[in-house]
Amino acid sequence: MVLLPLLQAAYAGAQDAQAAAADGGAKSTGVMEWALDNVVIIIGAMVIVGGFAAITYVNNMLLQIQKIRLLQEMGIEALEEVKLISRESWFKRIYKRMTRVVPVDKEKDVMFHHEYDGIRELDNVLPPWWVALFYITIGIAVIYIGYYHVFGKGMTSTQAYEYEVKEAEQAVNAYLATRADQVDENTVEALTDPSQVALGQSIFQNKCTPCHGPDGGGNTIGPNLTDQYWIHGGGIKNVFRTIKYGVPEKGMISWQTQLTASDMQKVASFVWSLQGSTPTDPKAPQGDLWQPETTAAQAENVAQDTTAAAPNN
Amino acid sequence: MSRIEQFSYDNAIVKKFAYATALWGVVGMLVGLWAAIELIWPAANLNTAMTTFGRIRPLHTNAAIFAFVGNGIFMGVYYSLQRLLKARMFSDLLSNIHFWGWQLIIVAAAVTLPLGITSAHEYAELEWPIDIAIALIWVVFGLNMFGTILKRREQHLYVAIWFYIATWVTVTMLHIGNNIELPVSFLKSYPVFAGVQDALVQWWYGHNAVAFFLTTPYLGLMYYFLPKAANRPVYSYKLSIIHFWALIFIYIWAGPHHLLYTSLPDWAQSLGMVFSLMLIAPSWGGMLNGLLTLRGAWDRVRTDPVLKFMVVAVTAYGMATLEGPMLSIKSVNAISHYTDWTIAHVHIGTLGWNGFLTFGILYYLIPRMFNTKLYSTKLANNHFWIGTLGILFYAIPLYWAGWTQSLMWKEFLPEGILKYTNFLETVTQILPMYRMRALGGSLYLVGVFIMIYNIIKTVKSGQFVANEPAEAPALEVAAKHTGEHWHRWIERRPVQMLVVSLIAVIIGGLVEIFPMMLVDDNVPKIEAVQPYTPLELQGRDLYIREGCLGCHSQMVRPFRSETARYGDYSKSGEFIYDRPFLWGSKRTGPDLHREGGLRNDAWHFNHMYDPRSTSPGSIMPPYPWLFRRDLDVSSTPAKIRTLRKLGTPYPEGYDQQAIDDLQKQAKGIAETLRTQGVELEGLENKEIVALIAYLQRLGTDIKPKPQAGQ
Repeated sequence: MVLLPLLQAAYAGAQDAQAAAADGGAKSTGVMEWALDNVVIIIGAMVIVGGFAAITYVNNMLLQIQKIRLLQEMGIEALEEVKLISRESWFKRIYKRMTRVVPVDKEKDVMFHHEYDGIRELDNVLPPWWVALFYITIGIAVIYIGYYHVFGKGMTSTQAYEYEVKEAEQAVNAYLATRADQVDENTVEALTDPSQVALGQSIFQNKCTPCHGPDGGGNTIGPNLTDQYWIHGGGIKNVFRTIKYGVPEKGMISWQTQLTASDMQKVASFVWSLQGSTPTDPKAPQGDLWQPETTAAQAENVAQDTTAAAPNN
Repeated sequence: MSRIEQFSYDNAIVKKFAYATALWGVVGMLVGLWAAIELIWPAANLNTAMTTFGRIRPLHTNAAIFAFVGNGIFMGVYYSLQRLLKARMFSDLLSNIHFWGWQLIIVAAAVTLPLGITSAHEYAELEWPIDIAIALIWVVFGLNMFGTILKRREQHLYVAIWFYIATWVTVTMLHIGNNIELPVSFLKSYPVFAGVQDALVQWWYGHNAVAFFLTTPYLGLMYYFLPKAANRPVYSYKLSIIHFWALIFIYIWAGPHHLLYTSLPDWAQSLGMVFSLMLIAPSWGGMLNGLLTLRGAWDRVRTDPVLKFMVVAVTAYGMATLEGPMLSIKSVNAISHYTDWTIAHVHIGTLGWNGFLTFGILYYLIPRMFNTKLYSTKLANNHFWIGTLGILFYAIPLYWAGWTQSLMWKEFLPEGILKYTNFLETVTQILPMYRMRALGGSLYLVGVFIMIYNIIKTVKSGQFVANEPAEAPALEVAAKHTGEHWHRWIERRPVQMLVVSLIAVIIGGLVEIFPMMLVDDNVPKIEAVQPYTPLELQGRDLYIREGCLGCHSQMVRPFRSETARYGDYSKSGEFIYDRPFLWGSKRTGPDLHREGGLRNDAWHFNHMYDPRSTSPGSIMPPYPWLFRRDLDVSSTPAKIRTLRKLGTPYPEGYDQQAIDDLQKQAKGIAETLRTQGVELEGLENKEIVALIAYLQRLGTDIKPKPQAGQ
């Protein structure tokens, strides 16, 4: 049980070392990081190992008893068996010392004279391992408070957060650099491959139907997506942008933290493919009639207008 | 040698408390089971406000803690105190006032909580008139206990009584400290502390409600009933002394571990964490002294159900008090907090430690008070095994659910996007575990019914001894014996024991709470943060009434996985007008601190009317009554006046203008809703509008203005 606090302290150390590693480059932090990331697995493993140890111990004990009984049946005294173990192992000696106690048959020697409603008390010492445990936890407490709050070595919660975000950002950027399917609202093109559009449809079913209806016909919350009228501009680029950034004051949330760029492209392509379809319960048109020849400059205006007209609730 | 005096023990009061324990135990567990079923089958709330999860969850916790365990404490204390002091209770009248007063308080709680009358402080939900009643009855209990102690025939106080004294004095301090509130009306009040300070005081209380209501009194009971039932001497007197003083001194400090990674300043979080770690040994001292007392009696554990229950209880205590400090380690808490891991943890404590010790004590007491034998040892053994299975079926699935959900919350795709962006996915994933939990709870309850049958049969077969005759020599003048242990000194002096206990428990609270009140640096001010508008304030009180905080937190922790999901992490300065704070402690649904502006008003309207229309598969109940009831605006001026008194900077005389402002804002929202296609007669007067106003305000004070496209 002391392992975990140690882990925590180790974590603190690991963070610090990581900060150093940023300019030093030493990669000794891997173990600590791994330990921290897998703290639940480690606890689980400890519990399992402990359980096995306990079962093995009990099993050995039972075997021992059985052996002694067999020996007794054959007329050999158990004492002789015990004598065979001439010298106790180091572990046994430590164990005995840490669990020092007056045996039950000698407890009369340490029994207090007082009694309460028949309850007597023994004068056993504090279990030495228990005392050790207490001191260890106090030691950890002192070290922890000293490290973080007296000497100010460790990161504060906020610093740790900023560090986590920065590190993740680097990892994400490194990953994205290796990916070819990155699109944004300026480069996005409508996908026409039916399998890609179908993927977009499944995302739509998953995320968009509560507000836009199962067939894109709209409901009390979101507008109809199948007609030619668009509040924030039609065309694949505008649809992509509306999905990506959202229009929070109108209730359209931003999806860029929830969908990858290629997923947004797929779902935008599906939405654009709905043009001209006939939903079962279409909502009345909202916004302006979208004409494909509208220039990008006009689209810009549409976006700005909605921002300016946003109700201030 | 002094003269032998004849007297009698009052068993009648013990019997009353014992029956109340069993009765409220069943009620509390039934409500708990009901709540568990609502989580897997939302329609189980019968579409009624009073039986909806948010309202019966506090009913369950209060019933389990204060009605079941509370009566259990008094049952055990009234039985053991008389015998340990060789004296009848100080006053039969006080005993009965205590009993009936406590039951009335429970009934008051059972009425007010389903009505939504709550102060939103967990385990201290009851409103101010009931708080005062609790304080009065608690004082009656204290008078009765100390009266008995003062007229005792036993010179020294046994360790059980140290625990009773510490319990009494600490609960008094905590109850008063956490219920300093200013009434708005007969059944509504606002706490004096706001935001972070309110949170700290609440969890100083909340954690120590566990410590000094569920733990210390039960340790006292263990120290009496376990050696009695086992007929063995207590293992170590020295251990009793050290673990008692260490436990009560350290426990008080550990409250902030409920607020790790929140807006509470780091220094306070760290104190909560390290004191929790230091609590392992003192807690285990109690477990060791219990288990080691059974040395030489283990053969009887196999046959005696009383000892069986006690052994599992003490073991569960040891497991829970190791797990607690582990959960207080910040990096573990980052995983466990807001998940079902915590729920599993507390139920090991309550079902295992409190429940099983109570059952053991009942099986011990009832036959003795009725001068007979237990009706059926076999049934008691069955109860033991069914109950144990119930605990396992309850806890293991919830541990699993907690780990699963937490890991799902934190998992990112390599693109830097959360893998499970929809919170609901992480809920539906663990529903099978919720079903197992309901099964476990049912098993445990079946065990309790078996016990009640067994008790009724036992009672019928015996003859109740209302006044049990006893005799003991009169108390001699206290005198020091040479060579005695130094601690014997204070065991002869109950008043000093009381004072020293109070000093021990007051230090931690002072060190943590006072700097939070007095040092401004602890809550950096944010200029943009403004008081709630009257409509938002009313909406907030509806949020409190419906118990939304039972399932939704309002505290985005500084983790990448949370800021990606919810938005910027919460700052302490954002909560300075939050009376009470509503950070919550469990996320059955998503965090709401950055909910404002995220969705449009119609979404909230539809979602509150039928959550599954906007979030298919959601386990949130619908709130149709918010659409039927008109908002009670008449309370607005009084609320504004009360908050002004507490320091919220509403302009002078604003209470007169508040209703106008409220109606204006309500009209605006109703207008927006209509343009979004919502139709409802008298919409602007309905409660739902106030709730939407509040939800749309949440966390927006420091939110950067949203931009549509760049």
